[in-house]
Amino acid sequence: MSVGYVTVQWNRHKRVYDSLVGGGVALYLALFIIAGKTLYTGAHAISDEILAIRALGTCAYLMLHVVLCTGPLARLDRRFLPLLYNRRHLGVATFLVALAHATIAIGFYHGFGNVNPFISLLTSNVNLGSLSAFPFQLLGLAALLILFLMAATSHDFWLKNLGAPAWKRLHMVVYLAYALLVLHVALGILQTQRSPWLAGLVGAGVVIVAGLHVVAGLRERGHDRRGAQRTARVNGPWVDVGCVDDVPDRRGMTATVGGGERIALFRYDGCISATTNVCAHQGGPLGEGRIIDGCVTCPWHGWQYRPGDGQSPPPFTERIATHRVRVVGRRIQVDPTPLAPGTAVTPARIEEDHHG
Amino acid sequence: MADAAEFYVGYLRMPTRLAAFLRWVAAGLLLATAAIGWSLSRSQNDPGDGVWQDGLQTFVGRVAAAPYPLIRVPSDRPGKPIETILLVSQGKHGAAERIAGLDGRIARVRGTILERDGVRLLELTESGAAALDESLGPVEQARLATPSVAPLGTVTFYGEIIDPKCYSGAMKPGEGKTHKACATLCIAGGIPPMFVAFDAAGRRSVYLLTDPHGRALDDRILPYVADPVEIIAALERCDDLYVLRLDPECIRRR
Repeated sequence: MSVGYVTVQWNRHKRVYDSLVGGGVALYLALFIIAGKTLYTGAHAISDEILAIRALGTCAYLMLHVVLCTGPLARLDRRFLPLLYNRRHLGVATFLVALAHATIAIGFYHGFGNVNPFISLLTSNVNLGSLSAFPFQLLGLAALLILFLMAATSHDFWLKNLGAPAWKRLHMVVYLAYALLVLHVALGILQTQRSPWLAGLVGAGVVIVAGLHVVAGLRERGHDRRGAQRTARVNGPWVDVGCVDDVPDRRGMTATVGGGERIALFRYDGCISATTNVCAHQGGPLGEGRIIDGCVTCPWHGWQYRPGDGQSPPPFTERIATHRVRVVGRRIQVDPTPLAPGTAVTPARIEEDHHG
Repeated sequence: MADAAEFYVGYLRMPTRLAAFLRWVAAGLLLATAAIGWSLSRSQNDPGDGVWQDGLQTFVGRVAAAPYPLIRVPSDRPGKPIETILLVSQGKHGAAERIAGLDGRIARVRGTILERDGVRLLELTESGAAALDESLGPVEQARLATPSVAPLGTVTFYGEIIDPKCYSGAMKPGEGKTHKACATLCIAGGIPPMFVAFDAAGRRSVYLLTDPHGRALDDRILPYVADPVEIIAALERCDDLYVLRLDPECIRRR
């Protein structure tokens, strides 16, 4: 949240996060190069440039796996949410490492000739019909352009100006970049380095990324299915979404109604309020957040909204949709039709429980 | 799962138990990073024993411009009275322009040697690399007058078209698919194409490639450079160099 744009809103967590990313990259590159330098020596030594190309390429590939696994991991276990908090910096770092890989590779393999290196990159191999001879460099180039697009639009300036849904859709293209990079590796280095370890690692990476997304997706789908069954209890505009005792005090709960957008319910000060589940920032799940300083606080990046009207506390200006809500006995009922972002709704007061 | 009180907000103080958990995660990630980096690097193939020697060397012999720039020099190597050294320029460039006017003449050439699998190349120095030279005696000049050529029949080989400069030590490794673009640029730039053949036991042998008439090959081979291919060609020995006379139509991708 901000009232103006700054390059990075630094805080201690971001500094620690970035230090770990930088340290991890330096550690990986140093160990890869030392291992390569000591593996073959003398006449058999691998060229320094090729060692650097391989170190940087495998490092960026590994970093992309961490980027992609962070999302589903955080869905499956909230303790991984801090990895998500500053994931954009990891994404930008991934692009920079990949750019260094591409720069040295283009200079070394496509430079020093009669043809412009970029022309050579595009024209030196046009065997598009052959799998074994396929120009794998073009796949890497396409992935690099996507990573550039991700990095260039990673700032909140673009998030705000493109709008969260469009920004989110744009950044989903990272999965296309990953698919291109898997092919870049499979049709490139795996064609010459016939190491079962390397092939196994590439395969394991695909299985881990796909597996985590499938497991997290199935869990979300189960939640939505249970929510869809609530439609059967429709009573006028009101839909029963659960019992007040299901919502811990000063915390949220997520409800899906009739296959529509998820609704976040919050219990605080003896009341229940309902808002959209989608944070205006990056679409974070507000229902998994909690009430801090009287405000709904998103679990992803800590953006805040007042539960009664969906407005961020001044001087911030973000707004989210609210829902009409009422409590009948111990049951919570909401009107699934969202109100305009920032619309004030009277919180539903919880009757004292005389049974417990 | 996290305790109910363990709610993380990036700009607030990190909950204690969550911080402890994340320290383990960070340590695990760094350890995995180190292990993967080290083991991936140790799984790299041997790039071969090509050597780009330090220091300038000078050779005097008979220069030929066709099929590719080369010099034939008297040799004291066992079983090799004459040695053929291919001539190349800096970067991915052939030496045709550098030896202009010296075709068929006795000359002195100067540069750095690249060597692998019994084949030597000389990368000519920037300036003063090639000039006429009269220091060879008449007997040696007569020995270098014409190459000794012996046809060895038609052969079928499995292997890869390489640029000998990178293969012999300019790049390590200087072969295979990841090197394809570079090898293509080198050959298109005038560096003589060669063929590295693998036998059933995986042993290598290296051959200079010409067209069926013994002339320089044209651009039709470029799409096949660095690909695993099978070729049918006429093999001949030219002094110490083995040459494959190849019709590009007889290249099959494997």
